[in-house]
Amino acid sequence: MKITRALVLAVISVAAVVFLFPLYVALLMALKTAKQTFDSFYALPPSLNLSNFSHAWETSDYPTAFLNSLIVTGLSVVLILVVSALSGYAIARGNKPIYTFFFMLFLSGMMVPFQVTMLPLYQLGKTFDLLNNYWGIVVIYGGFGVQSGVLFFTGFVRGVSREIEEAARIDGCSTPGIFIRIIMPLLKPVTATVLVLNALYIWNDFLLPLLYLQEKAYRTIPLQQYFFFGQYSSDLNLAFAYAVMGLIPIIVFFLFMQRFIVKGIAAGAVKG
Amino acid sequence: MKNLGRTIRRETWYILFLVPGVLLFAFAVIAPFVAGVRYSFTNWDGVSRKLSYIGLDNYVNAFQDADLWTVLGNTFKYAIILTILVNVVAILLALLLDSYLPMRNLFRTVFFLPGVISVVLAGFIWSYNYSQGFPKLLSSFGLDVTSPLGNPDQALIGLIIIAVWQGVGTPMIIYIAGLQNIPVELTESARIDGAGPFRVFRSVTLPLLGPSVTINMLLVLTGSLKVFDLVYVTTNGGPGFATEVISTFIYKNAFSSFKAGYGMALSMIFFVILVVVTVVQVSIFRKREVEV
Repeated sequence: MKITRALVLAVISVAAVVFLFPLYVALLMALKTAKQTFDSFYALPPSLNLSNFSHAWETSDYPTAFLNSLIVTGLSVVLILVVSALSGYAIARGNKPIYTFFFMLFLSGMMVPFQVTMLPLYQLGKTFDLLNNYWGIVVIYGGFGVQSGVLFFTGFVRGVSREIEEAARIDGCSTPGIFIRIIMPLLKPVTATVLVLNALYIWNDFLLPLLYLQEKAYRTIPLQQYFFFGQYSSDLNLAFAYAVMGLIPIIVFFLFMQRFIVKGIAAGAVKG
Repeated sequence: MKNLGRTIRRETWYILFLVPGVLLFAFAVIAPFVAGVRYSFTNWDGVSRKLSYIGLDNYVNAFQDADLWTVLGNTFKYAIILTILVNVVAILLALLLDSYLPMRNLFRTVFFLPGVISVVLAGFIWSYNYSQGFPKLLSSFGLDVTSPLGNPDQALIGLIIIAVWQGVGTPMIIYIAGLQNIPVELTESARIDGAGPFRVFRSVTLPLLGPSVTINMLLVLTGSLKVFDLVYVTTNGGPGFATEVISTFIYKNAFSSFKAGYGMALSMIFFVILVVVTVVQVSIFRKREVEV
């Protein structure tokens, strides 16, 4: 039994090293100069040298891209949460066929791949002046996120007993009052799920910013990185310093939110 | 009478609650979808104001387009190999992590970590590892390798490896959750009856893992049929036509080749394929599932 366990540990450690290897190489590149890389590819740098980072910081507009990512992700997630919670509550509590119809509509919307809507979305963006500003892309993310969001919130509210609501209603509480005072505090777990899943997706998304935020002042981190890599393909150490800088926020977010992410994925699988 | 008034007021609030969600959804999904269907029957170039209806011509042309068949072949090859690999690796990791193991959570974090990195970054890091890192590492063992991304015969596999690296985290977590739902008594009694670990896995664990397998197969397959970012940022369809997939093909038709109408027809065909794949897959796997 002990041997099996040691064997399992060995296998999984090797797998872990393989998984981390590409990231290790990226970090190594970011910390070394071109000459050091050329002399010895895998050796650790002789001393800690952050000059690649400071150089990348100066040449890349990293703070702008970071702020753009933060604004776009933050606003989109808030919009998705508010709108999905309201819709999900209405669908869960209303008992007319129309609510079921809208529920099925949201559900079938998830089948439509982005490729089908991307060109019309771009046209829509041009017509309504939604390109190269925060609001346009936030509204589109809102429309995307509300589909799965409604699914999560409806499922959750259906599992909440109606008794407290009925009691509050008899005491003269209105529907918005019930929603704000009774339902919202109960929604924390499902809110966390919808929040982390959407935040990860939007923060890392490439295609929609490629269509909507081409202008330099509005580029998010993935898009900015794409252009930066194209521009500095000859200075790889610099490009990798920028890559590592782009990694830091999402890894920090992941490490702090890991518990919710894992729960959210497991919950999402049951819903599917 | 008072009750009726109250019900009406309540229903009005529900409708009001529903309105913002429906509006956003209509704007971001329904309107573009309807517009896309309309464009697919026109010869629109994507830029000019002019467009005229040409009936089913785009669809007829698409089915006669040899490129489309190549692209669909690439897409399905990519998606099927990836789906199998991701699920096999994810089940293996989940089984290993489900046993009592020191630092279990740390390992889970490590395997999930690549999945939270943006595809642009992953593609960049791997391109470099393929062209410099791995050849330098392997040359010290006397092996001579070049980047698979530069070789038409290997480029698709090169992309699949990146996608496996990024893609096993989510299915792994779903499998771990599924394994935790399997009663220990079942595997224990099989073991007491003399079944070896492989027999226990094949006859007890795997059938009971059915719902997780269904959802993971579906998620990975539909996700990988839609692949865009990875191809766009690493190979952009090349070398030659070796990694051109349906999404990048649609993108190029719609945005670069001034064949927007045609591109939209392609995307409608793709949509139908996706729906068919989903329906077929769900019905096959649901039939094979076992209730606990």
